[in-house]
Amino acid sequence: MLKFPKSAALAVLAMTAFAGPSLADGDVAAGKKVFKKCAACHAVGDGAKHKVGPELNDVFGRTAGGAEGYKYSKAMIAAGEEGLVWDADSLTEYLTKPKAMIKGTKMAFAGLKKDKDIVNILAYLESFSTAQAAAVEPAPETAKEAEPVETAAAAPAAEEPAPEMAMAVEASQGAYGLGRKAMPDEVEAWDIDIRPDGTGLPDGKGTVAQGDPIYAENCAVCHGDFGEGAGRWPVLAGGQGTLLKERPVKTIGSYWPYLSTVFDYVRRAMPFGNARSLSDDDVYALTAYMMYLNDIVEDEEFELSKENFTEMRLPNEANFMADDRLSEPHYAKGGEPCMTDCKPGPVQITARAQVIDVTPDGEGDENSGGGID
Amino acid sequence: MVDRTDTKQDRQTASRRSFLKAGLMGGAAVAAGTGVARAAGDPLITEIQDWNRYLGEGVDVAPYGKPSEFEADVVRRSVPWLTADPVSSINFTPLHELDGIITPNGLCFERHHGGTATIAPADHRLMIHGLVDTPLVFTMEDLKRFPRENRVYFLECAANGGMEWRGSQLNGCQFTHGMIHCVVYTGVPLRYLLEEAGVKTSGKWLLAEGADASAMTRSIPMEKALDDCLVAFKMNGEALRPEQGYPLRLCVPGWEGNMWVKWLRRLEIGDAPWAQREETSKYTDLLADGKARRHTWVMDVKSVITSPSPQAPVTHGKGPLVITGLAWSGSGTISRVDVTIDGGRTWQTARIDGPSLPKALHRFYLDINWDGSELLLQSRAIDDQGLVQPTKNELRAARGENSIYHNNGIQTWHVNNDGVVENVEVS
Repeated sequence: MLKFPKSAALAVLAMTAFAGPSLADGDVAAGKKVFKKCAACHAVGDGAKHKVGPELNDVFGRTAGGAEGYKYSKAMIAAGEEGLVWDADSLTEYLTKPKAMIKGTKMAFAGLKKDKDIVNILAYLESFSTAQAAAVEPAPETAKEAEPVETAAAAPAAEEPAPEMAMAVEASQGAYGLGRKAMPDEVEAWDIDIRPDGTGLPDGKGTVAQGDPIYAENCAVCHGDFGEGAGRWPVLAGGQGTLLKERPVKTIGSYWPYLSTVFDYVRRAMPFGNARSLSDDDVYALTAYMMYLNDIVEDEEFELSKENFTEMRLPNEANFMADDRLSEPHYAKGGEPCMTDCKPGPVQITARAQVIDVTPDGEGDENSGGGID
Repeated sequence: MVDRTDTKQDRQTASRRSFLKAGLMGGAAVAAGTGVARAAGDPLITEIQDWNRYLGEGVDVAPYGKPSEFEADVVRRSVPWLTADPVSSINFTPLHELDGIITPNGLCFERHHGGTATIAPADHRLMIHGLVDTPLVFTMEDLKRFPRENRVYFLECAANGGMEWRGSQLNGCQFTHGMIHCVVYTGVPLRYLLEEAGVKTSGKWLLAEGADASAMTRSIPMEKALDDCLVAFKMNGEALRPEQGYPLRLCVPGWEGNMWVKWLRRLEIGDAPWAQREETSKYTDLLADGKARRHTWVMDVKSVITSPSPQAPVTHGKGPLVITGLAWSGSGTISRVDVTIDGGRTWQTARIDGPSLPKALHRFYLDINWDGSELLLQSRAIDDQGLVQPTKNELRAARGENSIYHNNGIQTWHVNNDGVVENVEVS
């Protein structure tokens, strides 16, 4: 079997033979939405630059590994040398399961499960590509026919109200009688929060060893192989003993009070840009792996589960306290502030922002004097 | 981006040039009130200008209007090195260019944790569940049938000024204080929605959740929820901007901005706080002894002089000078603002002008006759609880330098003889 189509002619053939939906069916607007899954790592459009992944302008027609200035995996460069050129067919295969097509790709993304998402995202990316058109443009007669039909069909579709729910709707019994009763399945679908006392934990389990590959595939690209953080993305591990230092490193092990927060947050918002894609067992395994990276457990066979979760404690829990700002001397002293002769002599400047020079539009943008996140 | 920068540079160059010119022409020209007056008269007056002769654009050129092209540099700006990526980042309101107390919608700073969610109002739902008599789901249409109220509130990020804990660092009021905006919200008091569902007596806490990719969550005590929280769908009369949570956001007046959950989709009632990421690993205030304060919700009494400031230098030379700024407190109204021009040896009470509303920005002015000597400008706010804005050194003495959040210390601007302004700290 020919792994990668080697010429445009072959690409056309492959496209024709391709059993799935064709690029002509793609919806650019819908593709733009799907692209949000990619946007944490990829930029496209005016002025797009390489981020975690390469920029995607003119990706159609680009040789794999061919975006200038981006540091690709060896596997991707090799694929390009073997003749892989990105077109609708090859991108479809890649986006379905990146690691199956290019073993060793840096792209942590697991793949798009729905064919429709892929078709739409390709239509979206194609709108930023100039080279592609000749290879996979639909037959002209389709385009001719489609034009008036599309205009007529698109407008009402956009304003179509949500379909009537085929279920019994119980009105609110409150004073205004507004809203309707939430159904148990609806509450269950959205109620995913976990409290420190274990309220909300789903059934499931996972070990450190199981968490390792899940972390490598989904998390390491931003958080580093050992939780040390890449770029300015959060550091997850280490930092113990730094809270009193000039630059504290606040990690799960050094700062976070509760393990439940790790589970809750990973499940609701991670991996960044592809939230809610991990199974509950995956999240248990990742949480166990976080404990391992932070030396809270040392056994790779350690299994975290709904049953033993609340027995786990993070080291810094006792160091959180209530808000007592009003007891600070400057607030507690009260009274009228000084209006005259408030300082003994002429006031001296002790620090200047221009010396630090990290203001944007200045010349020292690269330097950092500390962040907010 | 390039255009904006160019405009800004052009304008700064132009103002610097006219300032120098005014200086060269000597005191007489300045006293006459213009830097460009000539014997033959100002050509802008003596010659007929294009805009006076030729027709301008008609109506409907911009169905949704935009600011004048000459205001192109009045924009939100970010500090690229602060965060990892624009989809989880912040930008800043250009306070130095604004007046009054209301922030225009397009200039309200943005803070996202997972980008701006795009939600059609017809697809949006708000669910209330947990310790309630009846769990409920509202559509946007349902929400707009409850009695609604209009209220003016500031929203300040708890990290506003967070980069200044170790000393003056960013040279611009936009960057040191611009994580704040103030608009009039239209919405439904949260109390009405909670009453509609019927909160059980054991319901002491509320978890607010957003529908965005960060599914932002914060725990809020029930007393606050029943007191003055608002579920808002309009700002300054029009629909919320997408970046401010369209179509629905929570307002938690006077409390840190992170709690004002955008794209609000869920309110869960419970009997204990949830210890979510944004109330444990973030938005907790690390102190010098290694302890950390949590649930530091209220935004402290605070003020800043917005002009003159590093991005708004004095370009007109000596003579009348308007010193203006903003003051606010999460506890209520501002009862007084004092201003010093000598770094804090002597203070004068400034004039508060415009509405004085609780948990809203207050605008103050001090009109002075500048003699051209160096100034060390500071402002100090006092709220209706009698709380006085502390100095930065008082805060450091109490908390150390690693708190990140809740820096409400007094800001100092140094104005040199040429009117150039710099962010400094003083003895």
